[in-house]
Amino acid sequence: LLDHIKLETLDTDGALRESAEAAGLDRSAFLKRGAVTGAGFIAGGVLFSGLASPAQAAISTRNRSKRNDVKIANYALTLEYLEADFYRQAVKNGAFANEQYRVFAALTFEHEAAHVKALRSLLGKAAVKSPTFDFGDTVTDPQKFGATAQVLEDTGVAAYAGQGPNILQKPVVQAALSIHSVEARHAAWIRYLNTGGLGETNRLPAPKAFDTPLSEKAVLSAVTKTGFITGS
Amino acid sequence: MSHLDLNDVDVDGAVREAEEAVATDTRATFFRKAAITGGTIGSAAFFGGMLPGIAEAAPSKKQDIAILKYALTLEYLEAAFYKEAARDGGLTGQQLEAARLLNTDEQTHVTALRSTIRQLGSRVPSEPNFDFKGTNKGDKFLGTAFVLENVGVRAYLGQAGRLKSKALLAAAASIVTVEARHAAAIALLLNPGAFQTGSKSISPSGSFDRASSMKKILGEVGDTGFITGS
Repeated sequence: LLDHIKLETLDTDGALRESAEAAGLDRSAFLKRGAVTGAGFIAGGVLFSGLASPAQAAISTRNRSKRNDVKIANYALTLEYLEADFYRQAVKNGAFANEQYRVFAALTFEHEAAHVKALRSLLGKAAVKSPTFDFGDTVTDPQKFGATAQVLEDTGVAAYAGQGPNILQKPVVQAALSIHSVEARHAAWIRYLNTGGLGETNRLPAPKAFDTPLSEKAVLSAVTKTGFITGS
Repeated sequence: MSHLDLNDVDVDGAVREAEEAVATDTRATFFRKAAITGGTIGSAAFFGGMLPGIAEAAPSKKQDIAILKYALTLEYLEAAFYKEAARDGGLTGQQLEAARLLNTDEQTHVTALRSTIRQLGSRVPSEPNFDFKGTNKGDKFLGTAFVLENVGVRAYLGQAGRLKSKALLAAAASIVTVEARHAAAIALLLNPGAFQTGSKSISPSGSFDRASSMKKILGEVGDTGFITGS
């Protein structure tokens, strides 16, 4: 159907092609690594509260439903909790390479906190609670802060891109995308600061003509590896 | 899902406006409204031939194609703007680099949209003629680029909820963030040391990007006078 805009090219890790069967496989893979709890779901030993229960753990990429929209919104909310707390702690510690990083962190914190508030409001009683976080020296070491912020923002962009097409309700699509593009602005900003301008190709504010989506699985795997989430 | 309340996210009503403005118009009233806003006349006439599906409220393949043609026109405009800026704009350093890089991205979007429209079995609109009136030269370049990129973001966001095809929505989502990255990069070149809030900032509408309806965007583009013929 599509030539340049092809799922095969965009969807490098299969985010959009994951079938219901694949989602089932994801669940069993998670179950091997984690334990079931009443309040949430342990993935890789880490409680990821964006996932309500093992039965509901995987966002369906095939069947859109209102219930699936709740899962997607909670997944987004958990990522926003993480980003907001990351910037909150970095601002509190004040360990920035220069004033421009401080300005970036302060304003981006405001945006992420607003995203948390909006998603919580969107979800109402269905909203998950914030996990607890430990960002280690990424919120005290200026160099690590810049590098980590870039990864988090690029991951945020990819995570929203991966879920947009799975959302049933059009107003939710619109709402998600209005957050999505702001994450991209943050990503471009921190890339610009880290590079000191437009810089080398792989560190450009916009490194590619199309941003690449990431599946829930890929994002969860990346987040789990950071060890930033320490509990519910 | 009774807890979903768009009002909390859609702080200025832009999302709702984008949803409703075009969707509730019949083709006839759309053009009447476009015509009475004065500056929109030219663009309405120009876009009119390209947008057969504009009046359809429910997502459909026909409407998807109309949206693709609309997006293509905006990408044609951006690509031509940067191409000319890089060639004749008298730019140097980071500004010249930006013009070249952004031209490459926008041209890639043009190629992708052309090929998608063709594969959906529709006629591919050819590139219009443009007159940028010197706005892509020298010290005007960044200011105009900033406006164009942010128009692009609002335009894609305005259509995302109207697309029927999941694949097209995925594609639009992967383009809108690149437009947003461009807008942020241009904002930094415009004002690298300043506190980045307000209308000339990295994120001019704050925590949430706004969506604009096709009608609004066509009006804004029409007002520039950049499109001089098809």
